[in-house]
Amino acid sequence: MKDKKSIWSFGTRVVVYAAIGAALYGVLSWVFNFLQLPASGNVAFRPAVVIPLFFGIVFGPIVGFITGFLGNIIGDLLSGYGFWIWWDLGNGIIGLVAGLCAGMMVDYKRAKDLITAEIFVVLACAAGMFVASVSEMWVSGLDFATAMATTFVPAFVTNIINGLILTPLLMIAWSAIRSRSGR
Amino acid sequence: MIVSFGYKPRQSIVETFDPRARWIFSILMLFAIVNFWDIRFLLGFMVISLVQYTLTRLTWKETRRAWMFVFFLMFVMIFVNTIITSAGTIAAVTENPHVIFAIEKPIRFTMTIERLWYALTQMVRILAITTLFLVVPFTMDPRQYGITFKGMGLGDKLAFTMDLAFRFVPTLARDFGTTLDAQKARGYELDKFDGNIFKKVARMAPLIIPVTMNSLLSGEDMVNAMDLRGFSSSGKRTWLYTLQYRRRDINLIAFSVIALVVSFILPRFFDIGNFWVPGFLIP
Repeated sequence: MKDKKSIWSFGTRVVVYAAIGAALYGVLSWVFNFLQLPASGNVAFRPAVVIPLFFGIVFGPIVGFITGFLGNIIGDLLSGYGFWIWWDLGNGIIGLVAGLCAGMMVDYKRAKDLITAEIFVVLACAAGMFVASVSEMWVSGLDFATAMATTFVPAFVTNIINGLILTPLLMIAWSAIRSRSGR
Repeated sequence: MIVSFGYKPRQSIVETFDPRARWIFSILMLFAIVNFWDIRFLLGFMVISLVQYTLTRLTWKETRRAWMFVFFLMFVMIFVNTIITSAGTIAAVTENPHVIFAIEKPIRFTMTIERLWYALTQMVRILAITTLFLVVPFTMDPRQYGITFKGMGLGDKLAFTMDLAFRFVPTLARDFGTTLDAQKARGYELDKFDGNIFKKVARMAPLIIPVTMNSLLSGEDMVNAMDLRGFSSSGKRTWLYTLQYRRRDINLIAFSVIALVVSFILPRFFDIGNFWVPGFLIP
């Protein structure tokens, strides 16, 4: 288990992995916007959201926050959607909250690690999308019910479905890579 | 797979401003706009946003995608807010309503002049804010984001992280393209998605896992390379690009600060700028 203090350190590793995470999140967001793959019902296809979740869980809250925040900015820049600062912040919070469990991880493939990660995936998506939706109330003048119905619920449901399915798969793959390469 | 940002030099007057001044202007204007619900003030801010937009020389073709996204979101939010829910958090909308029509069945709903006018006010406010920020990605060089935020008080490491992220984008896009082609050669079909949403999401794993793992492994090499070159040592850093404020940048920042201060004072101390319905609409 990592020392609790170390999940907040900001050294070279954090710089590099935050940059990689942000670029990867941005590129994958653009790819899946570009490909326009069919979803189901009201749930959009957003597998890229697993990136800030996974990077937060593995590398800590700082990497998670930068991956989500900056990655969403890059994804919107590439997709031509402009700047939506409050949604960038919401995505940053997704990575930040997911990263709070980084210190609890042991080998990323234990049942306990996977269950802990899944719980934090739900918490992270709820916190991030709630902040973004409430910000819409302040910016656009929506009431609480509208903000929840039109922004929070669709975004939250989409993110947890994509996150809950893909996060454990990435964690198991990372566990194998780590042990094979001695990292 | 080649990706590119929407930025290209346009020789517009907007691009001659220091990017820090532009960011400060945009952010302070945002905070100024949200203090008002009087459409007359919001139209004034809308004019400022449109002037900036016009000066950037952006074309409809370049920004069409962004505008379609904005219009769609705006329509959904305002429609739901005005028709379905209680039409906003402003008490003035509901405290003295003038009814246009009311229905009892199959749902109970009342349309008032205040509700419709609030929807129009919301639309102007959202457009003023989005027009302000929409120009930024098309008119600001991505290579300068790092130094810009460094100049606005962000730490060296955070600013460098931004720069590094933008540099990684083309590499990771190329890697994604390579992975996609490799998986297609093995029979993976991206456009054949059967089953429910859970199966569709799970089918993304053969794409996302290899790209992510490869990027993480190359990241370890980069960490070692940077540490060997003394990146983690303390000390003042220099940057390839430098930014210098000019008089026009100072003026822009001063204007933004004044606008924010005035927008804060007027509604709270003089009761000016709150929700307003024109008298000629009230019977």
